[in-house]
Amino acid sequence: MGPVRSFRRTNPLTVIVGVVLCVVIFVFLFSPSSSETAAAQFRKASAASNPLSPPTSPFRKPNEKSNGNRVPPPVVHYHMNNLSSTSDPVGNRETILILTPLARFYKEYWDNLLKLTYPHELITLAFIIPKNREGNAATAALQEQITKTQKTGPEKKRFASIIIERQDFDPPLASQSEAERHKMENQKARRAAMSRARNSLLFTTLGPSTSWVLWLDSDIVETPPTLIQDLAAHDKAIIVPNCFQRYEDQKTKQVMERPYDFNSWQDSDTAQRLGSQMGPDDILLEGYADMATYRALMAYMADDHGDPHMEVPLDGVGGTALLVKAEVHRDGAMFPPFPFYHLIETEGFAKMAKRLGWSATGLPNYKVYHYNE
Amino acid sequence: MLPSYASASSPKMMPRHQAGAYSNGYPRAKSDTYSISPHRFQPRTSPPALRRRRQLLVRLTIVLIITTLFGFFLWPGASILPVLSFGLLSSGEDFQLETVRYYDLSNVQGTARGWEREERILLCAPLRDAESHLRMFFSHLRNFTYPHHLIDLAFLVSDSKDRTLPLLSELLEELQADSDPKQPFGEISIIEKDFGQKVNQDVESRHGFAAQASRRKLMAQARNWLLSAALRPYHSWVYWRDVDVETAPFTILEDLMRHNKDVIVPNVWRPLPDWLGGEQPYDLNSWQESETALALADTLDEDAVIVEGYAEYATWRPHLAYLRDPYGDPDMEMDIDGVGGVSILAKAKVFRSGVHFPAFSFEKHAETEGFGKMAKRMQFSVVGLPHYTIWHLYEPSVDDIRHMEEMEAERIARENEEKERLERMNKIKDQFADPNGQWEKDKTDIQNEAMREKANEEKAAKEREAEQKAATEDTKPAVAAGPVQADKEATKPQEAVQESTPKSTPESTPESKQV
Repeated sequence: MGPVRSFRRTNPLTVIVGVVLCVVIFVFLFSPSSSETAAAQFRKASAASNPLSPPTSPFRKPNEKSNGNRVPPPVVHYHMNNLSSTSDPVGNRETILILTPLARFYKEYWDNLLKLTYPHELITLAFIIPKNREGNAATAALQEQITKTQKTGPEKKRFASIIIERQDFDPPLASQSEAERHKMENQKARRAAMSRARNSLLFTTLGPSTSWVLWLDSDIVETPPTLIQDLAAHDKAIIVPNCFQRYEDQKTKQVMERPYDFNSWQDSDTAQRLGSQMGPDDILLEGYADMATYRALMAYMADDHGDPHMEVPLDGVGGTALLVKAEVHRDGAMFPPFPFYHLIETEGFAKMAKRLGWSATGLPNYKVYHYNE
Repeated sequence: MLPSYASASSPKMMPRHQAGAYSNGYPRAKSDTYSISPHRFQPRTSPPALRRRRQLLVRLTIVLIITTLFGFFLWPGASILPVLSFGLLSSGEDFQLETVRYYDLSNVQGTARGWEREERILLCAPLRDAESHLRMFFSHLRNFTYPHHLIDLAFLVSDSKDRTLPLLSELLEELQADSDPKQPFGEISIIEKDFGQKVNQDVESRHGFAAQASRRKLMAQARNWLLSAALRPYHSWVYWRDVDVETAPFTILEDLMRHNKDVIVPNVWRPLPDWLGGEQPYDLNSWQESETALALADTLDEDAVIVEGYAEYATWRPHLAYLRDPYGDPDMEMDIDGVGGVSILAKAKVFRSGVHFPAFSFEKHAETEGFGKMAKRMQFSVVGLPHYTIWHLYEPSVDDIRHMEEMEAERIARENEEKERLERMNKIKDQFADPNGQWEKDKTDIQNEAMREKANEEKAAKEREAEQKAATEDTKPAVAAGPVQADKEATKPQEAVQESTPKSTPESTPESKQV
């Protein structure tokens, strides 16, 4: 027995095979796949050295060896002349900031985000969440998903950076139920608070390197995975897809869809006249029977077999899904929390952008879907 | 003799364990077959299990080391960590990279004593062709008493044709590398962005009425770009400061912060040369709204921009600048509607909620004035301090320069005239002999002579008196002869002098007579 075993062990062939196997394993372990290398390199290159850096990029954790001595942050140059927002954002490596005012967290929303085909190392997510019980629950749920994606998920799915902001909304929105939310008298206060939340989120996260801003409501649960590329391809300053809602018809038990967002519209003379008769603090609202504005709503322009690339000019936009070139926001276009030409929030934003020389475009046949409560 | 059994060599004793001996009673065969003799060394065919394992481990370690070295040779930058964790955890960089940030905005609302709560300030300075002011601005930065590490600096350098950018980076690097740990600031961003401004930055074109509206809209755009790129969720305050402020208190940040207002501005004046009155209100963009201005605004078209300080728009607004009393209470507050941009301290929540510098006509105003209006529209408090003054640099206008040139020319002309006059005088002096020296000499001589004469006369008079006294007592003829002789001797030298003087200076005779 002994001599036989010893013969096997000392066989040079076995040793060679073992060594070769070892090398192969090492090669396999050491070299990540090529696509991962590019993304990882980009992540590494865009990482800032301290936590004061723009939140749209990850940062290296402060070294604990510095034993309390403050290391002065470096002088950083940002070449904003080179910042572009073009119709080929993937080719030009343009970074996009997805902004979501979050009241409730839907798993479907997160799953839909993960499905986006835009390179995730170019996407930064930012959330603003109210500081109340519901907000705490939403934050916990969100953070759980974030940990799953950013820490243990596949590298390809990880986002460049994620920012969570908490804020007390001035008039606390007691209930966010759909019926309560849409009551006309509640609209002005609600949308003013919403505007402040949107502005807070926007102006603290925009940073010096963002090319595009995508506003995506937390209840948008279904979009085409190529949403960003498709919208950016139109190369418009402000572009809005049509927001619909899927529902189950009571009688036929079939899944149907109906228009949901009525804030994207083309202005009408009636609305202009109504506005001119109003006091400076009154606002025009869309979708309420007792205020007939006769505006042309994009929600009703959809055609089941229409061309998804069809564009229409808009005067008011909705915020459920909204792609904006960052320079529009940088010029100062924000969501007015006060009646601006009798418009507020996203509709006021479209008006302000217009005053700054930017125009809004709608895609009536390109649909995104709202959660159905 | 020993007993026979003690000797091994004794032929009588049977050697018990001898090779070849019949130990078990049988004769050993010559063939090398099985034997269990314990004394016989049998070479082992394989090493013991323990040693075998050790050898294996040594070999494995050697192989591992060689392979690792080989691996490091191939991929010098690779990390050993994923190998040890079998790539299950994640790749190397992510161990140091942090991708999730959490901010609570209710902690950064801004309070009156921000330095105690470690509230961070974002200091924004838009720059264009500002090279000449940078060093002065940096001395202001170094003098701030607010903890420097709580101040983040953001500069927007746009459309500069001079060395603003290289000088700025150089000064900032110097500042961050300062050996005094209290000097370096927090995050520092230099943002380079050109807007293609057509308007010149020289004083005349900057303040001309026609250029104001478009100039202010472009300025507003620059300010918005700077703010949107530099504002972070951790900022409690935003301070806007022009680089051309010449004099300001070191404690200005704390002084303004103490008022705990949403937007607050000091009064801005500028020093002037004495011929212009010594000082002058500079920033006329901080004002209170007036009925006249509101009425005027209603008549203007949607894109018109009202600008202060020009005769074209008479608004009759109370200006912060004109209300200054040099001895007034510096803490006095005044509600205002439009603000000037030289030095604005605002809570970051103002900017977070969407207030910005309108680059369009917002309620007929743009830039900082529109900012004040918009802040008011969102119910923020906007306040000015009429008696707390900072001093803007005096840059002479074209008119001033012309005037100063005129004054300079006048001064030079006056100086030249003076010089010419002097020269003329010298020439005259050189051409004609100066008699003054001789005159003086003669004068003193004559004076001396006169003095002596006077002294002699007095002496003679005294002697005469004495003689007369004596004469009255003694014989008369003896007395009479003495004084006459004395008189004659005394007058003799005087006569000689009088004779000699007329020869040299004939004109001196009247003078000498006077003496």
